[in-house]
Amino acid sequence: MTEQTEVADATIVKMIMFAIGEQEYCIPILSVREIRGFEKTTTLPFAPPYVCGAINLRGVILTVIDLAVYLNVPPQADNPRRVVVFVESQGGVVCGLLVDRVIDMADIDLGDVQSVSDDGSSLGGLVLVDNRMIGVLRLETVVGQLVGDTVSA
Amino acid sequence: MDDILRIFFQECDEQLEELERGLSALSDGESGQETINGVFRAVHSIKGGAASFGLENLVRFAHVFESALDDLRSGRIAPTPDIIKIFLKAMDVLSDLVVEARDNLAVDPARAAESRIELEAITGRGGTADATDAPDATDDAVPQDFVPVPLDFEPVSIDFEPIAVDFDFDGPAAPVPAPLIVTFRPHDVLYERGDDARNILIGLADVAAAAVSGGDIVAACDCSALPSLGDLVPGRAYLSWRVVLPPEVSEERCGAVFDWVSDACDFEMTRAGETGESPVAVPPPEPVPAPVDEVAPVLATVLATALADAHRAPAAVPVAAAVAPAAAGPAPARKPEQASIRVDLHRIDDLMDLVGELVIAQAAIESLSRHGDSATQQELVQSIGSMQSLTRDIQDAVMAIRAQPVRGVFQRMQRVVREACSMTGKEVVLTLAGEETEVDRTLVEKLTDPLTHMLRNAVDHGIEKKEDRIAAGKPAEGHIRLSAEHRSGRILITIRDDGGGIDRARVLETAIRRNIVAPDAVLTDDEINNLIFAPGFSTAEAVSDLSGRGVGMDVVKQAILSLGGRVAIHSVPGKGTTFSLSLPLTLAILDGMVIVAGGSTMIVPISAVIETMMIKRRDIYALPDGSNVISIRGDCMPLIPLAAALGLSDSSPAGSPDDAIILVVENESGARAALVVEEIRDQTQVVIKSIENNYRQIFGVSAATILGDGSVSLILDAPALIASAVGHLDNKPARIRAGLAA
Repeated sequence: MTEQTEVADATIVKMIMFAIGEQEYCIPILSVREIRGFEKTTTLPFAPPYVCGAINLRGVILTVIDLAVYLNVPPQADNPRRVVVFVESQGGVVCGLLVDRVIDMADIDLGDVQSVSDDGSSLGGLVLVDNRMIGVLRLETVVGQLVGDTVSA
Repeated sequence: MDDILRIFFQECDEQLEELERGLSALSDGESGQETINGVFRAVHSIKGGAASFGLENLVRFAHVFESALDDLRSGRIAPTPDIIKIFLKAMDVLSDLVVEARDNLAVDPARAAESRIELEAITGRGGTADATDAPDATDDAVPQDFVPVPLDFEPVSIDFEPIAVDFDFDGPAAPVPAPLIVTFRPHDVLYERGDDARNILIGLADVAAAAVSGGDIVAACDCSALPSLGDLVPGRAYLSWRVVLPPEVSEERCGAVFDWVSDACDFEMTRAGETGESPVAVPPPEPVPAPVDEVAPVLATVLATALADAHRAPAAVPVAAAVAPAAAGPAPARKPEQASIRVDLHRIDDLMDLVGELVIAQAAIESLSRHGDSATQQELVQSIGSMQSLTRDIQDAVMAIRAQPVRGVFQRMQRVVREACSMTGKEVVLTLAGEETEVDRTLVEKLTDPLTHMLRNAVDHGIEKKEDRIAAGKPAEGHIRLSAEHRSGRILITIRDDGGGIDRARVLETAIRRNIVAPDAVLTDDEINNLIFAPGFSTAEAVSDLSGRGVGMDVVKQAILSLGGRVAIHSVPGKGTTFSLSLPLTLAILDGMVIVAGGSTMIVPISAVIETMMIKRRDIYALPDGSNVISIRGDCMPLIPLAAALGLSDSSPAGSPDDAIILVVENESGARAALVVEEIRDQTQVVIKSIENNYRQIFGVSAATILGDGSVSLILDAPALIASAVGHLDNKPARIRAGLAA
């Protein structure tokens, strides 16, 4: 698969790991702009269910995605460590990802990532870190859906 | 270099605008010498600048243009309509060539050639110095004639002033008894050491002055080794000199001058008689009686004057360039690639004053807030009040800086109409009004495309063919008026043509054929007019250069809507069509009403709100399909439960308490609807922030803003809400009407 040949070329990428419910995911740390506590968001009309709403980040209006809803994972209820990870896609779109907690950073060899699904999925594959299974999130897919979805009202 | 080039192109844009303004004034019958001079200056400046950047195409064309304009300036030709027409065309070509040079775009060479031939035809009759080279101003003649000027002038004026003596090199000469001739050629190393050929020449002049009282030298510079500008290496030595000293000067005295530089230059001393060289080549001291230090400035002046006569004095260029923009004021670039702005200095000064006051007010508040007692409370409130008005003033001042007259865009439309006319063979006069109306710069730039399209459309579809016009008893020449004015915080732009008006029968037929409306639809005149904005709509029988390429009025409408504007059409068959564009003055700030719907705080633009009121349940009339209408003073309008319309709640107003708060909103074409809200909180100015940058477009929401508490609030797109509600209702009466008629 092209995906695998691509990742075989790139070697080690620093990833930030976070948990949603019982599951753990990671994204490249270079796409992270900042991490903040979760604040109240403004509801957006006709937004997909996984969009919490809009938030003001120093004058820029961004949307926050509830990754638990997006990934269809039961969230941890009333977790005080819920944070929003603000990420920037390659296309320059910035959005927030609501996660249950941020765990750690890790150097992940992309060659070790095992593909679990086809290209359209937001989960790029799984990788083992300290014998734990970590999902590698495809940020571009998530953001692409956020921006590109037509309003289904 | 890139920066300089960019500035040059910006100035070109300004010059072109100046040119356009001057030519329009001339074509309006104004023939003041100042106007003609202004036009000439503009072309001259472009030519001068282009020459220093080696933009040959531009130089070549500008030269021919300039020659023709010179004839106009000197009164050899009169500004008749035909001549002005040729000039206008030449201006368009010149503008194309500027774009060509800037963006490396190819410009139709046939058009440029055609225009040049026309210009040459104008100048061809004259017998002046200028006109003599104009007729044979072939592709090669002009640049050769012109381009080298900055080459052999600039290095001279900057580094080696004595070179100016060059002028007399080939001049007439009288025999002189064996003057001492020194030739010297500096090596690169001379300059690298920081020495200068000038010092040598001054040394020689001193020697001459010491030998004979009033003894002069004559220096000639040999520039033959000078390469073209492209190959020029600034640090290299290309020039050599030949200096004629009075016969009284001895070889030793002369050689002593070269003591310090003997290893850094080639020099040779000969007595004129000894080598058999004819002194004829050597000018006598008499024609240039000044010592070398004085010679330079004098001759530089002579040289500059001579060059100015030939209209190629580079020194004149910056002067002209500096004069024209000052007259032009802040003018937009044609198609600006870099956002910069020229601002009236007093606007900045005003802003500075306001900021100064703000700082003082802030200090006052700070000191008041330290004494927390209730006596200062009143003062504190007052201070905050004055600070508020200050911030408002500052905001206005900043807006004023960003404001620009629409003149730039409007004048560009003259060209659009001219070109559309030449393509369709129609004769149309475009008159402009309210060009001084100022709007925010971002808006000015974004107006160009929609206006271009609408004007082309007006010429192509609006104005009838000449025969038809005459048959209809109208003047053969069509007339389009483009005007701008401020109206209640918005800018209103109207495009009015005196053409045939919209052929509603044909529009409807086309719309039905293209499945834009149902075949049995019964539409009002207004609705039919608006069909021309429907995507994919085109009544053009055949695809012409101007229209019918699928990019239609729907794009125009989109562009206007995206600017927060509205379009309205008014058309009278046989009399013409009027398009009215209503646009906000700025894209950054908006006056809004803060309301609450579905538990969310939202902003409704004040400009859309007609009135607010409380209504009773009994005022609401429920339609069979569940939607509601309300009658306010006899006006029937749809009732939009805002929260439900935005999908924020399912509760319908029918189940809500007896009193409902409504906002009557209106769109540009006058359609009204009543928005049901939960609460009206406040009226405030909000800064418009885009949602789409990081999200998608949302129905019913035009943008968002950030309120004082830092929370995000949505700005409602009232016209979109109205349109959906009105469209929803309107088909029904239409169907009913159709049913009754059947």
